[in-house]
Amino acid sequence: MGEQYYDTGYVAILIVLLFSGFVLFNIRRAIASKGSGKDVYIRRIAGLNAIEEAIGRATEMGRPVLMVPGIGGLNAISMQALNIFGHVTKTAARFATPIRLCCADAAVYTVAQEIISETYQSEGLMERFDQDSVRFVSDRQFAFATGVSGTIHREKVAAAFFLGEFFAESLIFAETANSVGAIQVAGSTQNTQTPFFIAACDYVLISDEFYAASAYLSRQPVLVGSLVGQDWVKMTIMAMVFLGSLSSTFESLGGPRTTSPDGEPLPFPARKSVGDSGFYRMLSPEKPKEADIPKRELEESEAAPQGEEGGGA
Amino acid sequence: MMHWFSGLPLAQAQNLMFFEAEGGSQRAYLMAFAAIFVGLLLVFAMFNTPIRLRRPIIVAVTFLAGAFYFLSWLWPIPIGYEPGQKPLNGTEAFGLALQDGTTVMGKILQVIQGILLFLGVYSVLRVHAGRFVKKQKDWAFSLVLLLSMMTMIIFGYAEYIDNVRSNGAHSAVESWTIWQYGKDFLFDGMLQNMDAAMFSIIAFFILSAAYRAFRIRSIESTILLTSALIMILALMGLAEYGSTQVINGMTGGDPSHFANNFSLTSVRIWIRDNLQGPSIRALEWGIFIGGLAMGIRLWLSLERSGGGS
Repeated sequence: MGEQYYDTGYVAILIVLLFSGFVLFNIRRAIASKGSGKDVYIRRIAGLNAIEEAIGRATEMGRPVLMVPGIGGLNAISMQALNIFGHVTKTAARFATPIRLCCADAAVYTVAQEIISETYQSEGLMERFDQDSVRFVSDRQFAFATGVSGTIHREKVAAAFFLGEFFAESLIFAETANSVGAIQVAGSTQNTQTPFFIAACDYVLISDEFYAASAYLSRQPVLVGSLVGQDWVKMTIMAMVFLGSLSSTFESLGGPRTTSPDGEPLPFPARKSVGDSGFYRMLSPEKPKEADIPKRELEESEAAPQGEEGGGA
Repeated sequence: MMHWFSGLPLAQAQNLMFFEAEGGSQRAYLMAFAAIFVGLLLVFAMFNTPIRLRRPIIVAVTFLAGAFYFLSWLWPIPIGYEPGQKPLNGTEAFGLALQDGTTVMGKILQVIQGILLFLGVYSVLRVHAGRFVKKQKDWAFSLVLLLSMMTMIIFGYAEYIDNVRSNGAHSAVESWTIWQYGKDFLFDGMLQNMDAAMFSIIAFFILSAAYRAFRIRSIESTILLTSALIMILALMGLAEYGSTQVINGMTGGDPSHFANNFSLTSVRIWIRDNLQGPSIRALEWGIFIGGLAMGIRLWLSLERSGGGS
């Protein structure tokens, strides 16, 4: 916590602020240029191209489209998932395809209901909005998994979108949806679950493709600008990795280490590790030592009894 | 120096205790009713706010809440601070005030989560009670769900109240009443086991998913299949032993021989450290950057949610 400013800890703070600056600068640039965002090239993301195909198929079959925003709470990940579902719903509303949005968190459920009803409203198709299409199932992991699997089986969904924070239930959803022949588009911010989705689903959004989705689908200047900012951040990180490798390599060429990090002489020379490099130390502050803790006075309420005791003695 | 911050409430200051009361005391009930009244007043005020003003209010609240957490993360917090000590300066005092605020904000969030859970339960009741009343398809499942939910709620609350009233006298198995037996049977005897049953299904799903995924269809799937095969074999004792024996036969047991690099274990470790590890880190960086950008857009209300324009 407080040790963040001790030693070199402020460097990491400055780097995050710089990254945030990149994102904000590009958003501002995109808004100022008043472009539609169509002039910025975003590489093809197969999973997102498949949305219309999946909904079209559901419409032809007369079956619903299932959306699950994971089992995480209301945070940036679930909000992004709901944003993508907003776009899915927009297409589904035009085709009059029924949707099912199953939530495991009450806060996500309330926001989801707002977003979905707003989407129908913005399309002027409010009469097609079924209030029960957005459901809270359970906040218990496997009860939720059971509920969603039951919905998949009973309603024979034609397309399933699993986007958000998933854990052990990911494969249960994916395999159940596969068993009813649904087209599946999935994406999780949990790297442990991505392999399961890759093995079981038709299309998978990997890593930041998940966050790029709304920019890809809507081309809103704010989102496209943010995406460009993210690319700037990536390039900066790549440059830092390169510089870090170079600095570690050159520092390790300077011979073995003869003193400990505290400056004490070592009994025998030790091989330099990555942790000895200046670049590593710059990003990894040392824990404060006892001597670094400043002396503070006691509060008056705390100091009074001690004073009395002292007086008595 | 910002010494004017020194007057702000600290974690140990008495004025924060204003929000706390002993459980079951008159003050606690009074504060609970006051909180409900203020909450209802806020909800009423929000409902009666002109629609054009709602967005600015939400934007302002989002910004303030975000700014609080942003400052909590950014602001330096005193090193080695002990309760009862005076902060050295305004910076330390403000840092401590932010720490205190985090606890209060956490409690506010808990209350909001509790209120939202009611909406969640209402959603479950509306969907399933509606299906049961209208005798729609699979109404029997909805009835089972409603009955299960009610039974669990009744036994859960009854057991809690019984424990509070008896001051924990019924906590030992020998002194259990029907409420403790009922809750134990429903929760540990049924719910936990059904959870475990759902979890165990994953083992079979892994097999069926792997069967579909590990097929030679393209160059990528062949690479996937090969690396998966190496990983699986290297973790199987017999295959790993066989590979080591073959390599030992080739090298004559010389640990410095180049061929040792081709044992199943060495290849597995090489794949893990040189291919899998860096790839996962790269993916995590992507997620972190995306999350940061998304967080900024949400905090500053730059994001327009959903498919609406």
